[in-house]
Amino acid sequence: MTSPAHARFPAESSRSLQLPGVVSARALSQHVATADGRLTILDDVGLAVKAGETLAITGASGSGKSTLLGLLAGLDQPSAGEVFLLGQRLNDLDEDARARLRAGRVGFVFQSFQLLPALTALENILLPLELAGHPAARERAAYWLDRVGLAARAAHTPRQLSGGEQQRVAIARAFATDPEIVFADEPTGNLDADTGARIIELLFELNASAATTLILVTHDDALAARCQRRLHLHAGRIA
Amino acid sequence: MSFLRKGRCAAAGSPPAHPLRVIRLGLWLLRRERASGEWRVLLLALIIGVGSVATTGFLGDRLKRAMSEQGASFLGADLLVTSPRPIETWPGLFTGGSAPGGGALATSQALEFSSMVTRGEVFQLATLRAVDAAYPLRGAVRIAPRPFAAGTPRPAQPPPGAIYVEPSLLPLLSASVGDQVQIGEAHFRIAGVVAEEPGQLGGVFGLAPRVFMRADEVGRTGVLQPGSRVTYLYQFAGEPGQLAAFGAALKPRLDSTQRLIGSREGVETLRGAFANADRYIQLTALISLLLSVAAIAVAAHHHALRHYDQAALLRCLGATAAQLRSLYAVQLLALGLLGSVLGVAVGALMQQALALLILPEAATRLPALGLAPVGAAVASGLLALAGASLPALMRLIRVPPLRVLRRELPPLPVAAWASAAVSGSALLFLIAWYAGDARLVGGFVGALAALAAVLILLARLALLAGHGVQRMAHGPLRFGLAQLLRHRFDSTLQLGAFTLALFLVALLALVRSDLVAGWHQQLPPQTPNYFLVNIAPQQQQAVAAYLSQHRLQASALYPMVRGRLVSKNGVPIADTLPEGTRDSNTLRRELNLTWTATLPANNAVLAGRWHGQRPAAEISVESGMAERLQLAVGDLLGFQVGDQTLAARITSLRSVKWDSMQPNFFVIFAPGQLDALPASAIASVYVPPDATRVLPGFVKTFPGITVLALDKLIANIEAVFAQIIGAIQLLLGFLLAAGIAVVVATLLASLDARRQEAVLLRTLGAQRAYLARGLWSEFLALGLLAGLIASACAEIAMALIGERLFDLPLRLHPWLWLALPLAGALLVGTSGWLTTRHITRVPPMQSIRTLN
Repeated sequence: MTSPAHARFPAESSRSLQLPGVVSARALSQHVATADGRLTILDDVGLAVKAGETLAITGASGSGKSTLLGLLAGLDQPSAGEVFLLGQRLNDLDEDARARLRAGRVGFVFQSFQLLPALTALENILLPLELAGHPAARERAAYWLDRVGLAARAAHTPRQLSGGEQQRVAIARAFATDPEIVFADEPTGNLDADTGARIIELLFELNASAATTLILVTHDDALAARCQRRLHLHAGRIA
Repeated sequence: MSFLRKGRCAAAGSPPAHPLRVIRLGLWLLRRERASGEWRVLLLALIIGVGSVATTGFLGDRLKRAMSEQGASFLGADLLVTSPRPIETWPGLFTGGSAPGGGALATSQALEFSSMVTRGEVFQLATLRAVDAAYPLRGAVRIAPRPFAAGTPRPAQPPPGAIYVEPSLLPLLSASVGDQVQIGEAHFRIAGVVAEEPGQLGGVFGLAPRVFMRADEVGRTGVLQPGSRVTYLYQFAGEPGQLAAFGAALKPRLDSTQRLIGSREGVETLRGAFANADRYIQLTALISLLLSVAAIAVAAHHHALRHYDQAALLRCLGATAAQLRSLYAVQLLALGLLGSVLGVAVGALMQQALALLILPEAATRLPALGLAPVGAAVASGLLALAGASLPALMRLIRVPPLRVLRRELPPLPVAAWASAAVSGSALLFLIAWYAGDARLVGGFVGALAALAAVLILLARLALLAGHGVQRMAHGPLRFGLAQLLRHRFDSTLQLGAFTLALFLVALLALVRSDLVAGWHQQLPPQTPNYFLVNIAPQQQQAVAAYLSQHRLQASALYPMVRGRLVSKNGVPIADTLPEGTRDSNTLRRELNLTWTATLPANNAVLAGRWHGQRPAAEISVESGMAERLQLAVGDLLGFQVGDQTLAARITSLRSVKWDSMQPNFFVIFAPGQLDALPASAIASVYVPPDATRVLPGFVKTFPGITVLALDKLIANIEAVFAQIIGAIQLLLGFLLAAGIAVVVATLLASLDARRQEAVLLRTLGAQRAYLARGLWSEFLALGLLAGLIASACAEIAMALIGERLFDLPLRLHPWLWLALPLAGALLVGTSGWLTTRHITRVPPMQSIRTLN
């Protein structure tokens, strides 16, 4: 944990030369064994996302959107095919190495917010900063809470916040470590239309100003339309 | 924006999460969650468990140190020889070789025996120690002018015509310092009280208070008769080299009834005996710790379940498995240390209460609290916590990060053997640590496992029966019972844990009421209540006449000589026994030998034929002794009586009813064998309550005869038992608390599900009172059941103990069947209601939002 970053991530310095984009996948498939035999969730998916690009992955429920997001973020291992994230071939990395790669460089926004109930709004933003060992973590967290317009709610726990406010905190948490890429899984799925629209505004505004790569999964057409690119999945394949 | 750029560079360049940072993060998260129910229960259970072992640990340590700090002064000498007979010749270190008087070693001689001390109409049995001017050679005796005064160091030998007494004797005789008392035929003045003497921690078992008198005044009392039980104490002090040489030369000359005790050895022997008692008490305390482990395990498991999302999120944010492990281990360690330290604090308070309970007089003289038990208690707490919560922790760090997207994903399974091995070995190590030897560990684990199996079985059966009741019930009762049956694992655990606690509490109460008090009550009317000991041959007729004149029912007068069993069929008796049984108490002390032609009442011949009037060298042996020493009819036994050796053949084996309160004997000779030996006689007598005034007259008439009041003796034994039982009951308080902790922990674990149900019911129109009644019926039923099962177990255990060990008839205890279920219902009902009551108060709307 204390060794220099380049020793652990040898490809880091040359990542932009080695591979196209920040995230890419080649011939990606995911199968699971069920009682009725093998179920294919993803079938031969390939994609490449450039730095700073915004991509929407759309499709009906069960089309494999979230599975693809999980594979691209290194949360799971594919049954077949390759994934490259931030210049690393994820297939070569074990669970811990993938976690180390994510630390501070990848942000997440979830449909169910995933805020820790015991922590205040400010502390939830602080969590990834502490984990990544950020200097001036508390000031940074306060800055980001202010960026999402919740400076006044710093000491409130998630239970005391509305759904929209919780998602704002989650967005601040995702951007707080100044990541190179943010993955968002149905970020407006649990919100009403108005609140969802405001959340989308905020997400794209922050993304633009931080020049972050954004990959989001949604079945909200309005949200997908805001992205530079759109990838539609149907039954595990790119339609 | 410059702030951001700087941050990005820093983030990309710096390694994530330094170990210290993970520790800080762990502690920070722990602090933020300190209000959560699981942590509180876990901490509470730990405090209870550690408090329990710390209490006994502290007290045991203080007693042990009290013993070793006294060192040589413990014996009052560097070397002590005890013997039931005077020792005439000593190894050549002494010039003249006839008595310990010369040579380079300092010596002192004392006699110890029991006798009556009388003042007016009042008499009391006392232990007399007749000492010379040199006593004690080491340490000091402090004599005070009145009880509880500090006293000044002085020789233990009082001035002529005076005695020093232990303070507890004064109230028994209604006497004070300066009063005259009578011992045997002589009168003495009480010249002071003994405030402190070597080797005495306090009168825990002071059945006969100690009196110091001059050795040269023993003859004046006329108390000592042939056959009287006397211990001769020879003390030595000097250079270590000389002592060692003297000890080595003396040892081969001593027989099995004589003992050589070095100052170190003396302390060790006592400490050994103490360590055994201490070990069992510690194991009692360990049961509370193990019950706490159950509560901790439930709380830790539930905590893990609730933190899968947190773990997955941390994984997703870049934490490695090792970091998660450190993070949760730090939290556990912090809680473990906090709980253990608080438990130690509780133990430090409770041990003082325990000390005052079992050593009321010496508690203030014990050394201060030691640090050693702190380490042991904290280590026990951490070990228990590790054993209880590592399986849950192992699951927690195996949560897949993908769970952030798919909530239903469970943690990767941990091999069952791995988690079982982790907790099993931690707990086994803990038990082994407290039990000390493998046999005790095996016994303890076996007994615990058997008890757990029985309790689980009974709990399951009871729950099955609950099914029937539930079908018949309606309304909130039905709802409550349904809850109980639905959470079957939880219910079994709660029932098992609480039943165990109630069962042990009840068993102790029964032991107290049946074995101690009950035994006393069960004696048939007119059972002898006094023993007359030390009746000189020339007094026997007068005594018999006195008794019949006052119409007192007495047993026959049995002459008694004291002798040692030395051989069987010509072989030294020890050599005929297997290795482990040679140290039998029967061989280490002198036996009371009697002779009679008539088989005593309450004796029955089991094998062979009673010798009757046959004047042959025949004996009858008690069957238990025969079994212990592997003796059979036809064996020729050799006895050493004084300096004479005599042999006799076993012609019968007898059973003896020991609780008949008659003079009972292991060995009875046929008439004619011992008649020539000097003997004193013993008899038992029944003195009705309205005739007790006869006794002072008897004591006045026969001052040398020791009158043992069995009532008083039994009352004394009862008081000692009561002290010990009181001490154990204090420990069982921890056990009950641990039982409640298990109930609360399991309830907390099911609280979310219960809240959800309550919200649904409220939404569907159930009133708050309905929910409350449902909860109450559930917990009251649980407590009642635990009480009933515990009553049944206690009755069975008590019946077994009574029948197997004490030959008592089966007796049921209706009050138990009432008291235990009531106590169970009250304790479980209250703790259950307090844990869950808020779910009936939450407005449904708010609850639904919370659940979402």
